[in-house]
Amino acid sequence: QEEAQAIDQELFTEYKFSVDQLMELAGLSCATAIAKAYPPSSFTTSQPAVLVVCGPGNNGGDGLVCARHLKMFGYQPTVYYPKRPSKPLFEGLTTQCEKMDIPFLAEFPTEPAFIDELYGVVVDAIFGFSFKGAVREPFGSILSTLERVTVPIASIDIPSGWDVEKGKADGLQPDMLISLTAPKKAAMHFAGRYHFLGGRFVPPALQEKYALNLPAYPGTDCVLQLT
Amino acid sequence: LPRKQPTVLVVCGPAQNGAIGLVCARHLRVFDYEPTIFYPKRSPDPLYRDFTTQCEKMDIPFLSYLPTEVQLINDAYNAVVDAVLGAEAEVGEGREPCAAILATLKHIRIPIVSLDVPSGWDVESGSSGGISPDVLVSLAAPKECARRFLGRQHFVAGRFLPYDVQKKFELNPPEYPGTECVVAL
Repeated sequence: QEEAQAIDQELFTEYKFSVDQLMELAGLSCATAIAKAYPPSSFTTSQPAVLVVCGPGNNGGDGLVCARHLKMFGYQPTVYYPKRPSKPLFEGLTTQCEKMDIPFLAEFPTEPAFIDELYGVVVDAIFGFSFKGAVREPFGSILSTLERVTVPIASIDIPSGWDVEKGKADGLQPDMLISLTAPKKAAMHFAGRYHFLGGRFVPPALQEKYALNLPAYPGTDCVLQLT
Repeated sequence: LPRKQPTVLVVCGPAQNGAIGLVCARHLRVFDYEPTIFYPKRSPDPLYRDFTTQCEKMDIPFLSYLPTEVQLINDAYNAVVDAVLGAEAEVGEGREPCAAILATLKHIRIPIVSLDVPSGWDVESGSSGGISPDVLVSLAAPKECARRFLGRQHFVAGRFLPYDVQKKFELNPPEYPGTECVVAL
């Protein structure tokens, strides 16, 4: 977890990347990976409907960017974003989604069955690699509902609620994990079908410094399928 | 690519078109090309200064001058990215160093990829004796002068445009394949 935070810090302070830049590239990677694993033609719902659940921090921001790109890729995303930081970055991302006719739910579906019926995939953009400590409401209830959903869940960076290094055996079991920048230790406990790497922006010098040993991305793709 | 190393020269102008060139150079580096940047007149805009830092920290060299001897450019690089002037530029500005850069670029033999508008062309009526790019990447939507483009490939990179903007301006963009962000016209 500390290494991931250290890399992020270097990207922002030494390389002068803006959060906006990296979040856009991360969100685009997520949408691209989802499109590869769950193409619109694979949906059993009448439209390729996707529920994107966004948390209160940067992982949620990644989710907003992802939702916008999913819309451009031909999906019908719906966002649930209960706790919104009052920062221009997140307000801007929200506006971009709204102006692209992406609906924002007022309430989270109470039953897993409702989610299973309406959506073909759920994107878990609740908590990321900075997550520590207890899960605060409303996310505790949201996670318990998601744990009982049968449609595939794609988690951004870390399955929400998991310890960033040790995982969580009785927690969310997503079908897909999109590791951003590099896989975190928790990824070793990932048991789903699809593990993608995204966030193709780490400079070669940083990769070396932190001995990331990332495999090569194919061509100009922004994602790499690891499993 | 004809040269042994995948070298590319990215020539960046002083405004937004140049900044886009900086971002392009950074991604080319991530894609394992060996870009070199010529950015003689740097914008004071903090965002664009950060783009410069990102390139420098990624070990992308910045030339201190552009060789006037065209053969040197032809020999060292496989292609040139023209990110000098975009749609915002005014025709006949003739301001240095853009005019000198364009005069050199007119004579190179390796392919030129122009970003949005071939630099030096009038954004609507096109060129009269200006550079002839091999590839044009129209940003958002093709500009009027793109009708005069005679090179090999014309791409449009506008997948980020919201649907209502496309309708409002009657852009009628083509379908983008899969998850690609560019489409060949």
